[in-house]
Amino acid sequence: MKSFSSMHPITQAVWFILTALCVMFSMNPIIAVVSFTGAFVLYIFRNGAKGLKTHLWFFAMWIGIVIINPLISHNGATVFLVINKQPITMESAVYGAVSGTVILSVLYLFRTFSQIMTSDRLMYLCGKLSPKLSLVMSMALRYTALFTQQTRKVQQYQKATGLYKEDNIIDTIRGGVRIFSIMLTWALEHGITTADSMTARGYGTGKRTQYAVYRFSSADTVMLILSVLFGAVTFTAQISGKMNMEFYPKLSLTEITPHGITGYISYGILVILPIVSEITENIKWKYYLSNI
Amino acid sequence: MEILSVEHLNFRYPKSKTNALNEISFKLEQGDFAVLCGATGSGKSTLLRMLKKEISPLGEKSGEISFCGISLEKLANRQSATEIGFVMQRPEQQIVTDKVWHELAFGLENLGLSHETISCRVAEIACYFGIEKWFDREVAELSGGQKQILSLASVMVMNPKMLILDEPTAQLDPITASDFMNTLYRLNQDFSLTILLSEHRLEDALPHADKLLVMENGRLTADGEPHKVIAEMRDNAELICGMPSASRIYLELGAKGECPLSVREGKRFIQQYKNEIRQTEIKEYTHSKNKALEMKDVYFRYERNLPDILSGLDLTVYEKEFFCILGGNGSGKTTTLSVASGIKKALSGKIEIFGKNIRSYKNQSLYRECVALLPQDVQMLFLCNTVREELEDAQCSAETLPFDLSALMEQHPYDLSGGEQQLLALAKVLAQKPKLLLLDEPVKALDSASKRRLAEVLLKLRDSGVTIVAVTHDVEFASEYADRCAMFFRGKIVSQGEPKQFFSENSFYTTAVSRMTREMYSNAVTVSDAVKLCRINGLKGTENDT
Amino acid sequence: MIHNQTFRTALKYISLILIIATVLVSSALFSDKQYASVSFALAVMTCVIFVTGYEQKKTGTRRLVISSVMTALAMTGRLFPILKPTTAIIILSAVYLGSESGFLIGSMTAVLSNFYIGQGPWTPFQMMALGVIGFVSGIFGERLSQKRSLLIIYGIICGIAYSFIMDIWTMLWHGQGFDIKIYLTALATAVPVTIQYAVANAVFLYLMAKPFGDKLGRIKVKYGV
Repeated sequence: MKSFSSMHPITQAVWFILTALCVMFSMNPIIAVVSFTGAFVLYIFRNGAKGLKTHLWFFAMWIGIVIINPLISHNGATVFLVINKQPITMESAVYGAVSGTVILSVLYLFRTFSQIMTSDRLMYLCGKLSPKLSLVMSMALRYTALFTQQTRKVQQYQKATGLYKEDNIIDTIRGGVRIFSIMLTWALEHGITTADSMTARGYGTGKRTQYAVYRFSSADTVMLILSVLFGAVTFTAQISGKMNMEFYPKLSLTEITPHGITGYISYGILVILPIVSEITENIKWKYYLSNI
Repeated sequence: MEILSVEHLNFRYPKSKTNALNEISFKLEQGDFAVLCGATGSGKSTLLRMLKKEISPLGEKSGEISFCGISLEKLANRQSATEIGFVMQRPEQQIVTDKVWHELAFGLENLGLSHETISCRVAEIACYFGIEKWFDREVAELSGGQKQILSLASVMVMNPKMLILDEPTAQLDPITASDFMNTLYRLNQDFSLTILLSEHRLEDALPHADKLLVMENGRLTADGEPHKVIAEMRDNAELICGMPSASRIYLELGAKGECPLSVREGKRFIQQYKNEIRQTEIKEYTHSKNKALEMKDVYFRYERNLPDILSGLDLTVYEKEFFCILGGNGSGKTTTLSVASGIKKALSGKIEIFGKNIRSYKNQSLYRECVALLPQDVQMLFLCNTVREELEDAQCSAETLPFDLSALMEQHPYDLSGGEQQLLALAKVLAQKPKLLLLDEPVKALDSASKRRLAEVLLKLRDSGVTIVAVTHDVEFASEYADRCAMFFRGKIVSQGEPKQFFSENSFYTTAVSRMTREMYSNAVTVSDAVKLCRINGLKGTENDT
Repeated sequence: MIHNQTFRTALKYISLILIIATVLVSSALFSDKQYASVSFALAVMTCVIFVTGYEQKKTGTRRLVISSVMTALAMTGRLFPILKPTTAIIILSAVYLGSESGFLIGSMTAVLSNFYIGQGPWTPFQMMALGVIGFVSGIFGERLSQKRSLLIIYGIICGIAYSFIMDIWTMLWHGQGFDIKIYLTALATAVPVTIQYAVANAVFLYLMAKPFGDKLGRIKVKYGV
C-alpha cells in the first residue's frame, strides 16, 4: 500500500482532474461545501498548522467575494437592503457565498496539487503526451535555476565595474538590459554545447523511451478504479441535472431524487479518497512502529 | 586490437585560409590511455571533435578515420552514439536535464531501451561512481566535481568502447581534478577502456598514460611513449613549460637516462645528485609600509542559519604587493574578494582600503581609480559583438594597456581562447584605473603558455604600482610569481608568508617540486630552484665545476 | 506528419482563426456555465494541439535547446523589479525563431512560472494567452524585425491584449458565465497592471531588439540554427 502522495503520477492526476472538474462546473452548495471540507482537510493533513498567512489570505478573498457579488449583481427576488437605489438581494449573496466556496476549494485543491505534483511528476505526465516537449520543459527548468544563479552573480560583478547602477528607475532598466545582454550570449553559447552533448549521446537517432522512477502498484489500480467509478457516477448525476441549483429569481435546489443522492454520496467518497489513503498509511505505520 | 586509426586527416574550417588539421595520422590500440597535449589553438579540440561524427565541425575534410575497422562515415548512428563517448570541458553545459537520475538515464532513453534495462544500468553506474547519495538531487545543487563525475557517468552508462575527453579537468580545482584523473585511470584498468584525453594539467595525467600525442599548429609532431616523447622535446620552450615538474627539471638540466614524470620518479632522479648544498640564498623581500587592504575580524554568512563563511578573518595586504590566497573549495576565498570589493557586505568587522573605511567610499567612488574585481568566469563581463566594442563599452583605450589586443579587435569575445578572454576582461577592469586589483582564479583553465603570459602582465602591473590580490588553486603559479601567499581554511587565514618559506613548510598543500625535493633541499619550491640546486651540487661521481 | 509547407502554414492560420471565432461565438451564444466549459476546454485544447504538433515536427536539436534557453530567460525576466521583460523576450524570440517556437516558448513560460507562483485552473488560460502572443509575433516576425517603431506599437498592443484575454478568465473565475458587467469591472480594475504590461513591453522591446538580433544572428550564422 502507498499513501496518496507517493502514488503514481497518473493516479494522482486523474483524481485531481476529476475532482477539480466536478467542483468547477457545479454551482451547488452541497458540492461546494463537501469539496471545501475535502480540499481543506487534505491540505491541513499534509501541512499541519503551517502557513497561517495563506489561510487568512484565502478566507479574506472568500469574504470579499461574498460581499462584492450582491453589490455587482442585482438579480434575485428577495431584496433585503437598498444601497444607492440598488437592491441588494439575498439570492445574489447566496450565489456569492457558493461561488466563493467553490473558488476557495479550487485554491486549496491546487495548492495541494502543486505540492504533490512536483515538476518531475508533471514532466513525466507531459512526456506521456509528448516526450520531446517534456524534455524541453525539463531543460528549461534546469536552465531557469542556472540562469537565476548566474544573473545574480553577473549583477554583483557588474556593480563592481562601476558601469552598472540602480539609483533610479532609468538606471535600473538600463542596467537590467545590460545584464540581459550578457546573459543572452552566455545562455545561447551554453545551449549550443548542451545540444552537442545531446547529439553525442544519441539524441535523435531513433524513438526515445521515457525512463521514470515511478511504479504502478496495486494501490494505484485500486485508487484509479475508485476515482473513475465515483467520478463517473457524480458526472452522470450532474449532467442529467439531478444536482442542479437555481439561484435566480428564487433559490431552489432541484428536487432530491435517489439518483441525485447517489451523486452526492459518490462525490463525497471521491473527495475523501486521498485522505483515507493517507490516514490508513499513517495508522499502519504507527502499528508497525509499536510492533518493533 | 586496433580500435581507432586516423590516416592523413586534413581539415579546414569554412572561410578559413589555412588548415586547422594537417596530415594527421595515428593509431590507438584497445585499452590505450592516450594524452593529447599542445598549446591553445593547436587544433586539439578540432581533432577530438572530428573523431565523434555527431559533433564534428563543418568544413572541408579529407583523409580517413576508422573506428574498429569501420570508416566513421559508415558507422551506424546508434553504434557511434554508444561506442564513442565524449566528455567536454564545462560540466554544467553538457548536463541536459534537471535531475541527477534523469541525466544518467538520458542517453539510454535516446536509444529507446526498455524501462527495466534502463533501471538496471542506471543502478549499476550509480554504484560504480558512488552517486547513490546524491541520486535524487537537482543538478543545480551539485559541486563542480560532482557535475563532472555526473557527465562522465552519463556517458559511461552507454557502455562506450572508447572515451574521448576534451580538457575535462580545466574547470576543477587540483584535488578534484586529481580525483577525476584517478577515476579515469580506474576505468581504463577495470574495463580496458580506451581513453583519449586532451589536457594541459599533465602532472596528474601523464603518469597514467601509455601514449603521449603532441600537436603544434594543426600538426601531430610527436606520438609515442611519454618518457620518450618528453625526452625529445628539448628545444621547444612553449611545450616544455606545460610538462610535469619532474620532466621539466630533467629537460632543463639536459640530463641523460629515462625522463621522470611523477613526483616519485622525480625524487629518484634528484637523488642521483650529490646534494651537499641544501638551500639557495633567499632574496630579501620587504613589503611597503602602507596598507592597501586591511580586514580585521571580519564575519560573513549568506543566511542567518547557515554557517559562517568568513569567521574572524584578519588579512593585511600592503601596497604594490602580489598577494595570493590559496585554500580548498568553500574555504571563503572568493567571498573574501566579494567582501573586500564591497559587492557583499560583511556582517561585522573592519575593512579598510588604502587606510579608509570601505563604507566611506560613497557613490561608487570605490570603483573609480581604486578597486577593480575580475570574476572567475570572465564571460560575465562580455556583452558586445566584438573586442573593439567591448573596449569602447568600458571606455578603455587599447594603447594604454600593458598588453596588445590589436590583432583581436574584430573578433567576437566568445571566439577568443581562454587566455585571450582573460586579457580582454582584464583590459575592461583596468579601464577603472584600479590601485587595488582583485582577481578570482585568473589562471584557471589556461594552458601554461597563456598562464605565463598573464603572469608577466600582472607583474608589469605590480611594478607600475598596482596592488594585486589573486585567489588561486594553482600552487605552482603562486609559488612562482607571488610576493606573499596565505592559506585559507574555514573562513580565516591559517598560515601566510613568502612563497619559498610558505611552501617549504607545507607538506601536503604545496608544489610538486617541494614534495619531490623536501628530503634533499630545504627550500626548493619551483622548477628553477631545483634546477639551480642540482647544478650547484652536480651529479654523483663527477667533479664539481662550480 | 504534415510535410507540405503551404498546407502547414494554412493550418496554422486556420487554427488561429478558429480559436478566436470560437471565443467570440461562444460568448455570444451561451450566457451561463456552458460558456465557461467551452472556453476552458478550448484553452486546454489549444495547448494539446500545439503540444502534439510540436512533437511531430522535425526540429533540430540545437533549435530545440534554444527554445528552452529562451523560455528560461523569459522566466529569469521575472526577477526584474516593477517592469518585467518576460513578454518582450517571448515576442522577440518568436520574431527571430518563428511562430511555432513562439507559441511553445510563450505557453511553456506560463506553465513553468506557475511552478513558482502556484499552478491553478488559470494555467491553461495563461498558456493560451502567452502562447497566442508568441504565435502571432512569429507570423509578423519579418516585418517586426525590420522596423523598431512597429515592434514597439505591437508590444503595447500585446500588453493590452494579454489583459483582455486574462480578464475573460477573471470573469469566468467568478462563475457567472459571460457577464459584460463583470468583464468591464475586471478590465477597469486591471488598468494599472495593463499599463504596466504595455510600458514594460514598449521599453524592453525598444532596448532589447538590437542585442537580441545581433546575438541570435551570430548563433544562426556560426552554428546554423
